[in-house]
This record gives sequence, structure tokens and C-alpha cells, in this order.
Amino acid sequence: MAIGDEPAAGSPPPDAVTTTAGGPGGDLPEAAVRRLEADSFSSGLSVPDFAACLDLGLQPVALVQGFCVMQWGWYGPNSGTMGGMSPYIGGQQTPGAYSETYRCPHGFVSNEHRSWGQNLEQPWVEDAWAHGYHTAYGRMLEEAGTLGAHGVIGVLDRVSSVADSGTTEFHFLGTAVTVDGGPPPAGGVPWSTYLAGQRLTKSIEAGFMPIAVVAALASVRVWAYCMTEYYMEGSMGGWGNNMGPALVEQVSKAHMASRQLARKHVRAQLAGDELHGAMIDVVTRELSAGDEVIDCTLRGNRVRRFKDWDPIVLPRPTVRLS
Amino acid sequence: MSAAETGLGPTPLQDVRAEMLKGAQSLAVAAPPSQERGITSDLSVDEALLLHAAGWEPLDLVTGVAVVSVPVGVWNWGRGSISMASDAHDAAVDQASRLLRGECSKVHGHGVVGVRVEVTVNPHHIDVELVGTAVRPMGGKDSTGRGTDAALAMPFVSDLSARDFTLLQRAGWVPVGLAFGASFVYAPRRTAGTAIKQKSQNVELTNYTEAMYSARESAMEKMQRSALEAGGQGVVEVKVTEGPMRFARHAIGFTAWGTAVSLVAETHQFVEPQVVLPLDDAVVTFDAESLRSSSQGKRRKR
Amino acid sequence: MIEETPSPSTAAPTEVPADVPADVPARAPAPLSRDLPKDAAHRLEELEHGLFTSDLSVNEFLLVKEAGFHPLGFVMGSSIYHIGLQTRKWGQSQELTKLTEAMYTARELAMTRMEEEAQELGADGVVGVRLDVNYYEWGSDSAEFIAFGTAVKAEDGTSYRNVQGKPFTSDLSGQDFWTLMQTGHVPQGLVMGTCVFHIAHRKFTQALGSMGQNVELPNFTQALYEARELAMTRMQDEATELQASGIVGVRLEEKSHQWGSHTIEFLALGTAVTKRSGEVTLPKPTTIISLDN
Repeated sequence: MAIGDEPAAGSPPPDAVTTTAGGPGGDLPEAAVRRLEADSFSSGLSVPDFAACLDLGLQPVALVQGFCVMQWGWYGPNSGTMGGMSPYIGGQQTPGAYSETYRCPHGFVSNEHRSWGQNLEQPWVEDAWAHGYHTAYGRMLEEAGTLGAHGVIGVLDRVSSVADSGTTEFHFLGTAVTVDGGPPPAGGVPWSTYLAGQRLTKSIEAGFMPIAVVAALASVRVWAYCMTEYYMEGSMGGWGNNMGPALVEQVSKAHMASRQLARKHVRAQLAGDELHGAMIDVVTRELSAGDEVIDCTLRGNRVRRFKDWDPIVLPRPTVRLS
Repeated sequence: MSAAETGLGPTPLQDVRAEMLKGAQSLAVAAPPSQERGITSDLSVDEALLLHAAGWEPLDLVTGVAVVSVPVGVWNWGRGSISMASDAHDAAVDQASRLLRGECSKVHGHGVVGVRVEVTVNPHHIDVELVGTAVRPMGGKDSTGRGTDAALAMPFVSDLSARDFTLLQRAGWVPVGLAFGASFVYAPRRTAGTAIKQKSQNVELTNYTEAMYSARESAMEKMQRSALEAGGQGVVEVKVTEGPMRFARHAIGFTAWGTAVSLVAETHQFVEPQVVLPLDDAVVTFDAESLRSSSQGKRRKR
Repeated sequence: MIEETPSPSTAAPTEVPADVPADVPARAPAPLSRDLPKDAAHRLEELEHGLFTSDLSVNEFLLVKEAGFHPLGFVMGSSIYHIGLQTRKWGQSQELTKLTEAMYTARELAMTRMEEEAQELGADGVVGVRLDVNYYEWGSDSAEFIAFGTAVKAEDGTSYRNVQGKPFTSDLSGQDFWTLMQTGHVPQGLVMGTCVFHIAHRKFTQALGSMGQNVELPNFTQALYEARELAMTRMQDEATELQASGIVGVRLEEKSHQWGSHTIEFLALGTAVTKRSGEVTLPKPTTIISLDN
């Protein structure tokens, strides 16, 4: 990923974008259209990356970007004003989504005792995230497409949440390029990759053609039951003679599930191709003892092998006198 | 970048242009969706190439996460070692490793390389997260001498990068597991009288020394034991960390991590490195700063 | 559990010298070697049964093997030392000999224990030695001095111990160790010299006098020059004791630790070496021009 590459100065931010767009196709802001009609190119590539890009026979065309703002809270699918209610109400399980139930072993204790708990995948959050991400991504590709570009390299994606207001911004930046003597992309959608420069060169040499940037979010909500709550606040003393450390099964399982689900969602977008350079980011929001939301994002380059490659001969190690 | 590098040869430019064109053209022909499972890997391009050159292939990104609770009151002031915290730490690492190996076995991997280890000690629970790439010899045939069944039953886990893994392989060694050990200890106190008496003297604080020394050695010993249990002959890349808990500064934690390795070849295979003299710096400048280091120990070049 | 009896340094502090210290103050005799804590003994025993540990990276591990050595174990020594107060004259630049004493003794204690662990393992030497100083909030004016490295032994059985019969210590990385051995030299020991110096505060009138001018401050120059020279001389003395022919990889560090900006410790560190064989086996290097960043 071409982290650290500064976008060329003078690229104006897009005008305010509404949250629900009609999908890619003709909803680029006015300013973007004007900028892209200009003649000279701008690119986000550093000098070495630029040189490597030319070596590959790629011509930079323009710096392109896409942007989208989404809003959602922690509401269930029947969202309204009743945010954050426990799973007792409304039967919020979505068919096909991950969920796991935990029952208290103690029998009736009191009304405050949390005798029932659940790990719940939140597909409404995941879908909203996917919508925002792919809308912004699509707009960037659309900008590239209108210029006749074949691909976008050095993609930078930034997802930032403003927790209080419940909004999330998705911002994409990349350098649109054409391949010397190459065909226009299939379906009119340019291919794209996080890579640029020498790393892209090596990947091509190894026989992998970039197709797209792929990402998915898995969001798992933990509704703690009594055992989890006591473990997480360290107060096991009152509930048995087990004073030692104990595995908090519910939370551990939720963490494992979030990562497995992220991989599953990404794999669904790969259609058999490979994912290289995967990056995992996990954000855990603790709402109270034991209650938490685990958001796991997996991103990477979708690539396809276009030729068989013989393994390189393992080079002889060197010691440098410096 | 370390001094012993593996440099890939220079690229003929003509070839690479043609390759790019070929790649772009391949996309223009829409391929039918493949029935393959589709691997996900967090290896860098260089690592993937080296791994392939060594005859191994990546299979999938795998993870293991465990959260172990620590009873309240463990961090209150006391004396000696905090065994409860050590036990919790070990249990969390054990469980996370077990889960990681389980995911590896599910995709028929022989081991996991490049494992990223994240341990977070909170007041009431210790969280351990392991992320790495499952790998296997190409074609699934075991080359480490353990036998395919054994490899699948007990995949190795290693925090070595794919690059280091390849280098070690070439020398006849294989990683057999993660070696780790942790110990937690209360900082000892001095009595007021002793403190005043010592104020003007240069003096070693023997009971402090004893306590810290013990705790560090204890973590190291546990690491060694876990290496032996994994069947290793040695541990490389040992990293020792120590520091107070951010929420309880009178409690100090020590951890020792490394990769347990074993010699599978008859003898160690010497690498016979080539010595290179880079000509990048055309003018040799004498830099006075280079004789000085910052006061907070500079990481020495590896 | 060892009782808390202080073991004061046996050298009486010398009188405060004039602002240019004339003599090298007498050093305390080598600290008494103590028994290693029982955890250490147990751990080392395990290492002697064949398991090795090392904090060498894979690159360093391979190069140490290449040099004909095998890692035995990760060794370390530490000492928590309380550094006493020393009065100083505000307006005089001087060496603070008591503090010098303390810094030297504390590091020596840590290094000696590390050497003992290496000796216990039957090592020829220790490579990659690092000296760290840690401060903890619960001990004011105390610091923990740690020395650690990897003990190694020659595979062909020849002894590489130094003239004192002890395992050599060196802060060379695995790469530098291999390169050094190729030139026919062997390490003898990590040598260090230290000097804690107080820099006089300038008198108000003096400061006023030179305000706005580009001018050398002769007193400062003289003082700092002397301090660095002291540190380096002491380091060289240690090398002489080891009958070394030279010192490589000299580093000069300056730290204020916790004393404020007018007190600086100058620490000179290096590895003393001697020539072992006549031939240089370093293969002729290939020149490359790297086009990477």
C-alpha cells in the first residue's frame, strides 16, 4: 500500500455527498466532473513509484477519489427509537447469521440476574458498512472510468468514525492509469490494487494480476450472561470456590467468530481468486462489564494468476559491509 | 533492513512490460468464477516469493483469540510473585495457540508463520490475539522429517517471518512452536528507616535486585520449558519485555518470547554468504552524531 | 531471602577537585561475586542439558554458526542500585566522583553476573551485549542496571576465553562478530569508561558579557573536553588490562539520567580485540549498486 504518498496539491474535496446514493452511475459531484475534464494529470505516486509505474508500461492519468458518509446506530433490523434493546425483544436473529446462546447455571436468583446471554452477528451493521465502502469505492472507479483509465493503483482507503454522531466516512484515493497498448477493462470497470511501484512490479512478475480491492466488516455483539459478567468484572468470588483464572468462553468465542466471519464475507467476494496482502483491524467497544461490540475489518488485494511461474532460485544470502 | 539480505536479481525491463500487458489482457477475457476456495494471505510479495522458492505455499489467514479472567484483588499490594496473573497469562496463550493450530489444521496446513502476537493485560482479564498465515509444503508432502500425519496433527506455530522461516529451512532447521513464559511480581518495599539510611550512599538494593532478577529468570525458565515441551532444541529471537502494569504501577510483568527450533537435517547447512560492498554513498561523510547514541537505548541494527 | 544490608562502596570519596580534575580517582575494587539467584541456577541447568536460547535474530544466528560458534544460552545480569546524593558547587565544573563510582559499580555488578551465567554454561564468550538502565517510579534515585546477551561457544573446542580466563564479552551484533572473526581478530571484552560531570552554571555577569556574540565558551569547552577524555582514557585502561591490541566499535554516550541538565554522564563503550591469526579470510567483496530507496 502506498502509505505516505501525499495526494498532489490542488485536488479539491468533493462537495457534500448525501448518504444514500443511487449506486454508481452518474452521481459524481459537479466539482469532480470539472476537475477530471482538465488536461494535465495529477498523481498520488511518489517519485520511485512513478518511475516504476512507467517501467511497467502504465501511464498515470489522474488522481481519482470517491467519498461516502453513512449513518447508523446500534439498532436492530426493526430500527426505530428502541436502540440497544436486549435480544429478549423482537427476536432479532437474522437467518444465516452467526448467533450463540448462553444460559445461566444458577437457577432463579433475582430479576437483575442475567440468566440469558447471546453472541449475535449484526448483519444490519455489516450491510451498512459494505454499502458505504463499496459506494465510495465505486465512485472512485467511476471517475477513473470516465477518463478511459484501465486501472487504479496505489489505492488509499480511509474509514473514520465519529462515534458520538454515529456517522462514518469512507474515503478512497488512487492513481488512475492506462496500460500501454492494453485493452479497455472488461465491463467498463477498471481493475484496482493497493500496490504501486516496485511491489506491484514484483507481483506482476510473479504472475498475479490485480483485480480489485476487497474488504468486509464482521460485527459481533456480545450480550453477556451472568457468568461472563462476573468474569469480566473479576467478581467470581461470590459464585463458587473457583478463585483462579478462568477462560471467558463467551467473549473468546465472539472474538473468534468475528475474525472467521470477516474471512467468510471476503471469500464470498473473491469468487475463487486469491487475496494477497490481507490486513486485519479489530475495534472492540466495551459497553459495560462483558457487553461489547467487536468490529473486525479484513481488507486486501484480490488477484488472479495469469501465468504459471517457476519458483525463483533462492538467492545467495549476502552480508553487507556498510 | 538487516545486513544479511536476500536480494532478488535485477529485472530486465522488457519482460516486465510484456507481463503487465499480458495480465491486463487476461482480464479482458472474463473468467468463469472458479470453484477454488480462494486463499487469503497476509504475506508481503517478497515473502510469498521466498516461501514459494523454498517449496512452500500459503493456505489461509488464521487466528486464535482467548480472553482469560483474573480475579479481583490480584493486583493489590502484596509480596513476592503474582502467580495468579502468570497462570492466567499462560492459560490465555495456550488456548489462543490451540485455536490457531485448530484453524491451521482445518485448511490442512503444516504450520503457521509470521504470527503476530498481541497480549493485553487489563485489570480483570488478559487477552491474547494471534494472527498468522497457515502454510504447507507444495503438494502437501512433508519435508521436515516429521511425517505428514504428525505435521497435520500438531502444526507448528512461529512468530518468524516467512523470510526468516525460509532462511532457517535452507540451513536445515525448522520451527516447532512458540516458546513463551511470563511472570508477574510485586515491587518490593523498603522500610522508612532503611530508606533514610541509604539516601546518601551508593548502595545496591539487594532485595529489589533479588526480586526482579528472580521474576525475569522465572519468565525465561517458563519459556525454556515450553520450548522443550514443543520438542525444540533451541530458541531463537528471544525477546524479553518488562514493565509496570499501566493500571497498577507497583506490579511488574516480565514476558519472554521466542521461536523454538529443531535441526532436521543431518548437520547444520552453512549458508556461505557473499560479501557485498554497496556503492550507494558516493561520498563518505564523517558524522559526529554516529558516535553518540540517544540515552534511551537505540535498537541495534539487525 | 537475603536481608537488606547495604554494601557501600569501599573507596572513600576523593575531595572535590578544582574545575579541571587532575587525577583519575581510585576505582573501587571489583565487586564481590555473589551467588546467582536460585531461579537463574535452575534455568542455566536446563540449558546445560542441551537446549539453547538466544536473542539473536535468524540472520545473526546463521552468521554466528558460520563463524564456527554455537549459541548456548541467553544470559543476563542485573542490579538495582541506589545512587547517593553528592553535593556539588553550583559555579564550578567538576567531576562528581561519587556518581561516577556508582554508575561504574552498578554496571559492573550487572556485567559480572552476566559473565557468571556465561561461565556456568561453559561459554567462550557473550555476543550482542546490551546495557540498559531502567527507572521505576517506586525508587527515587534508584535504577535497575541490566546487562544481557547471548553466550556462545566454539564448535571445534578451541578456547576463545580472554587473557583473564573468562568468557569474552562484546556488544558486537552477529554480523559484526562474523566480520571481525574473518579479519583474524577475536574479541576480548566489552570495555567501558565513565565520567559523571557537573557543568557549572554561568555567573550572571558572565552571561551578560557574551550575550549576542558568537563566542567560544572556554570554560565549558575545557570542561566537557576533559570529561570525554576521562571517559575514553578509562575505557582504554580496561583494554590495556585485557592486553588488547585495539578497541572497535567505540560509542560515546551522553546521558543526563535523572539529574537535570547540568549533570551529564559520559560513557565510552567499545569492544577490545586482539589479533589471533595472521590471515584475513574475509572474501573479496562484490560491489553492487542498489537502486532501492
